[in-house]
Amino acid sequence: MATNPKTSILLVDDETAITANLAPFLSRSGFAVTVASNGEEALQKVAALHPDLLVLDVLMPRLDGREVLRQLRKNGNWAPIILLTQVGEASERAMALEEGADDYLNKPFDPHELVARIRAVLRRARPGQPPLSAAARLACGSLTLDRTSHRVWLGEVELALTPKSVMLLEYMMTHPDELVSRERLLDVVWGWDYPVGTRAVDTRIAELRRALDDDPARPSYIETIPGQGYRFVGMVEARP
Amino acid sequence: MKTWRWLITLAPCLLGAGIAVYFFLSFDLHHDHIVYLRADLGTFSLLLGLGLSGLAALIFALLGWADGVRLQASTAAAEERRRFLLRLDHELKNPLTAMRAGLANLDESLSVAARREALASVEAQILRLSRLVSDLRKLAELEVRLVERSPVDIPALLREAFSMAQEKPEAAEYHLNLSIPQAPWPLPKVRGDPDLLLLAVHNLLENALKFSRPGDTLELRAFEDGTEVVIEVADTGPGIPEEEQPHVWEELYRGEAGRGVPGSGLGLALVRAIAERHNGRVGLRSRLGQGTVFTLRLPIG
Repeated sequence: MATNPKTSILLVDDETAITANLAPFLSRSGFAVTVASNGEEALQKVAALHPDLLVLDVLMPRLDGREVLRQLRKNGNWAPIILLTQVGEASERAMALEEGADDYLNKPFDPHELVARIRAVLRRARPGQPPLSAAARLACGSLTLDRTSHRVWLGEVELALTPKSVMLLEYMMTHPDELVSRERLLDVVWGWDYPVGTRAVDTRIAELRRALDDDPARPSYIETIPGQGYRFVGMVEARP
Repeated sequence: MKTWRWLITLAPCLLGAGIAVYFFLSFDLHHDHIVYLRADLGTFSLLLGLGLSGLAALIFALLGWADGVRLQASTAAAEERRRFLLRLDHELKNPLTAMRAGLANLDESLSVAARREALASVEAQILRLSRLVSDLRKLAELEVRLVERSPVDIPALLREAFSMAQEKPEAAEYHLNLSIPQAPWPLPKVRGDPDLLLLAVHNLLENALKFSRPGDTLELRAFEDGTEVVIEVADTGPGIPEEEQPHVWEELYRGEAGRGVPGSGLGLALVRAIAERHNGRVGLRSRLGQGTVFTLRLPIG
């Protein structure tokens, strides 16, 4: 599945039990894996090896993942980054995306899910360019989402949406044209694996559609993929 | 509580001020009432000493009382923490033991089918531990996270929770009833987080299903009571012994009947935490051999 030559991944985690098991798994999935055990080492290895993608733990001694992310982005390095978070806080997750991470996974996770994330992020990446998740504003047709103030406009009209719906829309818009499962949305937006979860997602999507006046049968924003999840079908542009 | 303390503190001052104002306004200026106090130094210093000692004794008594209350609270908290750690230890021990045994099985030369079975059981235990960790995190997060305050349509929420319970394969063996009042007016809305409230009702229903026996009747109902909406989940199950009733809302608590029943032991603790974040309350009434009613009260508004 991996492109030729092999996609190189820098895996950064201070927990050797995790890197020792995850690195071989990623190698077997067709990636060339290098491991770093803290933030400083990660920055050195990025400078030396120019990996195609980073998998970055957030909680690390010396230089944590968030600081590594910040420094890379400040220096104009837009290599895709997937954060491994331990915090379940919704605000922390939102912050991770705002600071320019391409995606994130809550620990503990299924390694297959990580590989799926890596592939999706690579597919979306435009080499050398900032990802959508680093944009302050996202636009799709007449729909605009301001990611710093968490406000949404349709044309000139500001929409009254609950914070969760805004976050949901934000995630869908930063991952356009990607099939996002309900479980995935739960994990990133709610941060919880609710037993009632998939219904909660459907309710919120319905709320969003009503607000966006989006016809599920002929969607211009959110499409339902029966039995699998949702996809944002509009063309999303980054706005300053 | 605070008001009466202020009253007692201010009463002498107010009384004095009242008397002063009376004499001031009574124009009785000619013979103003003057009190002369004369005492020899010995008696004066004795009374002053007594007064100060009394005051000090009163202050120390009050401080001691406050300390006692605080100590009681902190020993209660310490006791709860100790119980929680013991229960956590217990919850972790079983899956870990099963995993070690499963891995030991993998080590030996087994048939492919047996290896696969051992692997599957280890994975099931890992999922069980993951669920426990994620439920614990939910509880911790619930105490700090922002709770949405949108108007929640309780009847719709109850219907949703009810249909989820009906979809469970074991639900066919129970009599499930849902009753939502329509007259004289529909249930008022509650301000809150619809996802959390759905989770709370879902957990109550799931708990009732888990501890009842096939053939039992389960009822989900709601009504308005003054300034609150009351949601009840009632069952004709075995009931909860009186000594266990205060503990069922505690984290990781398992009653006698709960041993060996799958689950993290955090379902009801989550319900309580959700209720508290909505300024609501939980409660239960139960009779052994007859059944149990769990109630969730949420303020209207």
